[in-house]
Amino acid sequence: MILLQSSSKFLLQTLLNRVNNLEKAVELDYQWVEFGDVRYHIQVTMKNPQYLSLSVSLPIPPPETIFYGGLPVGALEAIKAAYIGIVQILDPPRDGFNLTLKLNLSKLPAQDEQRQVLLVKIASVREVVLGAPLAVVLRSLSSKTVSPNLNQLVAIVHRPKESFFVLPQAEKVTVIFPMRFKDSIDTILATSFLQELIEARRSAGLQNAPLCSWSLSPPPELKEVPAEALSANAGFVTFVIYPRHVEGKKLEKTVWSLSTFHAYASYHVKCSEGFMHSRMRRRVDSLIQALDRAKPDSEASMGTGQSKSFKGLSLKDSRTNSSS
Amino acid sequence: MANTLRLYLSCIRNTLDAAMCLQNFPCQEVERHNKPEVELKTSPELLLNPILICRNEAEKCLIETSINSLRISLKVKQTDELENILTKKFLRFLSMRAEAFQVLRRKPVQGYDISFLITNYHCEELQKHKLIGFIIQFMEDIDKEISELKLSVNTRGRLVATEFLKQFI
Repeated sequence: MILLQSSSKFLLQTLLNRVNNLEKAVELDYQWVEFGDVRYHIQVTMKNPQYLSLSVSLPIPPPETIFYGGLPVGALEAIKAAYIGIVQILDPPRDGFNLTLKLNLSKLPAQDEQRQVLLVKIASVREVVLGAPLAVVLRSLSSKTVSPNLNQLVAIVHRPKESFFVLPQAEKVTVIFPMRFKDSIDTILATSFLQELIEARRSAGLQNAPLCSWSLSPPPELKEVPAEALSANAGFVTFVIYPRHVEGKKLEKTVWSLSTFHAYASYHVKCSEGFMHSRMRRRVDSLIQALDRAKPDSEASMGTGQSKSFKGLSLKDSRTNSSS
Repeated sequence: MANTLRLYLSCIRNTLDAAMCLQNFPCQEVERHNKPEVELKTSPELLLNPILICRNEAEKCLIETSINSLRISLKVKQTDELENILTKKFLRFLSMRAEAFQVLRRKPVQGYDISFLITNYHCEELQKHKLIGFIIQFMEDIDKEISELKLSVNTRGRLVATEFLKQFI
């Protein structure tokens, strides 16, 4: 799996399980965290088995990011548009969460295919909620309408107390990620990954991909941003999105891959660390073997092994001899 | 480049061959103690002159000898930050498993990346020429492993970046 899926696998599995055994009343109460930032909670009660309540807790926004009623800009509209009919938004949400949805599972479409599509959509609630502000900006780019906040920097939360910046301009949108990593090794690996990103962009097959650049110092677009939001230890990555990247169905995909860019990078940093460890373990084994070869008794023990089996044979022989 | 590496390694091999003539030697100060003199440095007459073999500024090998023990310290080349971190990670990984290696020192000598401590007991247990062979192979393997690790990190980065950008097309 190189790319991250937009639907939460666990959530989708739980929903499918529930839908397939709707007549069986069970008590469900699960909580889990995705990418270390979004927390989910799912609950089904014995009393109303056809209702399922799904709560989502978003990362805490930094001061420069605006939240309306605990949700990012445009999230409420996006939820209403995406889940019309089967979802009810509870107000206020469950304690400790930003959003609680009440799903009526008995109202799902009867056809398998449609139902599957809708369930995947519900499982991608992260994309709908956190990606909403970015989707608003990119949608106005694709429809070529003048965005209300043209040339105004928008901060969008993507990790706890961290946000990335979007600058809508005429004919293009600039997206800037300050990349931060906790571990010093992670930082160095990520830096080399991000530099590869720039290299990869230059290759022949990717001429139409968004322009991207990486720099250690904040790019000029971020002049007005307070300094504390700009402490990035792995540099800044900038993507320039043109209308051709958000045409029609591509919009959703672009929103998803941009809003999870940090999770994607850190996922692959962790993967390559895991790979390094398994390699190093193998190398240690081969070195220990090399050292073992220096022991002079390794040949001698082989010799005794042979003599033992020879002895055993002779014992058996002697026994058969004695019995006969 | 490969040629200078071979010269460097064969120089180390020959030096080790000459230096590795250790004998049992009990401690002179404390009765019934028998310790590697190269570590304790109790009396100067038991120590020999240390030998420093350099391939270049960043890559060197220090061989310190005493009557009953021998210490080899290596400095591995690190051209950039990524190599630095990979070397650190790999050698730490090895040092943590020093128990399994017998001759590996848990902590490198200051200014070096990894150290070996060979005592007269090791020389009695292990065949001398194979022990030297192991150290040479160790040095070769570290170089190889680090360059391969670096390559794999970069290849992975390229692949991951390409897949990410492909989504937009």
